[in-house]
Amino acid sequence: MGSDVFEITVNVVKMLLIFLLMVQLVPILVWVERRGSAFIQNRFGPNRVGPLGLTQLLADAVKFLFKEEFVPPSSHALLYYAAPVLALVPGAIAFGGIPLSMPIEIQPFDMFGSHWGPYTFKFQSYDLNIGILFILAISSLGAYALLLAGWGSNNKYSLFGALRASAQMVSYELAMGLSLVGLLMLYQTLNFSQMIELQKGPLHFYFFGRELVVPFLPNWGIFYQPLGFLLFATAAFAETNRLPFDLPEAEGELVAGYHTEYGGLKMLMFYIGEYGHMMVASAVMTTFYFGGYELPFHLSDSLTTAVRGAFTSYNMGNVMAAMALFLVFLLKVLFFLWVFIWVRWTLPRFRYDQLMDLGWKTMLPWALANVLITAFLILVGGGGVL
Amino acid sequence: MAEIILFYFLAAVTVLTAVGVVMNENPLMSALYLVLSMLGIAGLFFLLQAPFIGAVQIMVYAGAVMVLFVLVMMLIDINKDEEKFSGGNISALFKGLTVGVFAGLLTSIILRTPMSTKILVAQQATEVVDIARLLFTKYVLAFELLGIMLLVIPVGIVALTRIRGGTHER
Amino acid sequence: MSASLMIGQEHYLIVSAILFCLGLTGILLRRNMIVMLMSIELMLNAVNLSFVTFSYFQQNLEGQVIVLFVMAIAAAEASIGLALAVMLFKKFKELNISFFEHLRG
Repeated sequence: MGSDVFEITVNVVKMLLIFLLMVQLVPILVWVERRGSAFIQNRFGPNRVGPLGLTQLLADAVKFLFKEEFVPPSSHALLYYAAPVLALVPGAIAFGGIPLSMPIEIQPFDMFGSHWGPYTFKFQSYDLNIGILFILAISSLGAYALLLAGWGSNNKYSLFGALRASAQMVSYELAMGLSLVGLLMLYQTLNFSQMIELQKGPLHFYFFGRELVVPFLPNWGIFYQPLGFLLFATAAFAETNRLPFDLPEAEGELVAGYHTEYGGLKMLMFYIGEYGHMMVASAVMTTFYFGGYELPFHLSDSLTTAVRGAFTSYNMGNVMAAMALFLVFLLKVLFFLWVFIWVRWTLPRFRYDQLMDLGWKTMLPWALANVLITAFLILVGGGGVL
Repeated sequence: MAEIILFYFLAAVTVLTAVGVVMNENPLMSALYLVLSMLGIAGLFFLLQAPFIGAVQIMVYAGAVMVLFVLVMMLIDINKDEEKFSGGNISALFKGLTVGVFAGLLTSIILRTPMSTKILVAQQATEVVDIARLLFTKYVLAFELLGIMLLVIPVGIVALTRIRGGTHER
Repeated sequence: MSASLMIGQEHYLIVSAILFCLGLTGILLRRNMIVMLMSIELMLNAVNLSFVTFSYFQQNLEGQVIVLFVMAIAAAEASIGLALAVMLFKKFKELNISFFEHLRG
């Protein structure tokens, strides 16, 4: 009973911390997005408030908080209020399932006059054996936020934007799931931690019974499934409704798409939801294709031993080593987030029929072909890849 | 202890939202209640140590089928629907009686059948590999037939919605 | 502390039975075609719940396999039903089931 309560408390605290991490990253990303777009377009961007415009974030947050709270009179109030919350929740839950760093082992110690047993804290809020499946399932619930926003605000532009967005999300979910299947067949697991474990060391695999080693490449998923990565990244752009697939909010046609009628804090929640989806997609890409929180080859082992050596206490060393690997993971995720921003300000927007053609007639067949070829190679080449 | 609380919570959510599905006059709200009900059932699946089925339930039902329902309901203007429930007090009485008798029957069957359970301690969650092994050995024929059916259905839908000179070109 | 000893098979089965009966009520009482389709989905879900319950308490994975089949068929049925509903709405501007009582076009 006591350990039950302890476990639940720890999990709730971890969930809260990871949610806060997600929310805290958003203003920084907004700043990067504005400065980065300015950099790409040869402008200055926000540079007046504070050094490099960094306190612009604070000003923006204050502005969002103190805007007038209003509900359009003809709207369906319940759905209108529910939509921003629903935009926020799936991303937050999905992000909690991804391991952000290695588990922290704590040896027994005495504190506050009582004895604390050995613990192993996982650096994620829940660890399911079906990890990726659950995350795909939860993030597919994001479509409701758009639909409810469109319907609840009772505005034809909102409704058009919502219909476009949800049709797009439902279509690209298929290609997204299928593009991961090839890699899942190679890893033979759905659990994130085991995947990361498999991606250690230099590139090595069995082919026709012989072990091949490529010493200058890390054992990352992208070298097994480059096509799968391309398809997954494209589908991720479409899932998050970012440019070049941001038809739902095409300004010229639809004012602002599904969040036309939203302002202030509710608008901010939609923003956080969008960036949350981006973070989940980046984290999944990192974990699947780029070795998760591990450094390539066996560098992460030497990093953790170095960090552990710097601290006298074993527990403290463990915590700090996990933090170092967490920084590695964060750097990888931030790189992908930067790619999202980079692409947004580089590529023009698709037409809606082109978008649907790309999803159904190009990406789906390629993803299926990828699955078939991978399955064939595993069957012929003798299973034991990795 | 935690599992008992979770069970009653999830069961309450599932049943109450199912009542909402049947009783709400706005079809869109019914659909949203059904989403909640399905999420509740997914939670019960997780409680029954079937996380794979639970995740598939969320993905297929809540994430795809119900999104389709909501989309269709937004596409067609459904709010001018006048008669929400079937009329006639007598027929409603008979329908209520039928359902009541059926419910009583089911409950008494459940409570009177001696249930054998093979589990004495809490079980581990089932592995996806075990389900897959069963699916691709014992049930492989059914699985292939399912694949053929899933191919036939999109073709049928496309044929249905694209009739030339039919309703499409009116 | 194994709570499974306290929450038995009957509890889950009764939830499943209640859901099934609610779905039945929806079919009998509602007149909107789409709501009737949703009631069918509710009944199928209730059956799935009882399958998984038996699968857990009898330690037999076949119940979960059957649930997968039921889900695929339910999704197919829903998509066909919705396509039909949309086509009917296009033609008659009506989804109330009493409008279609006489099966004449």
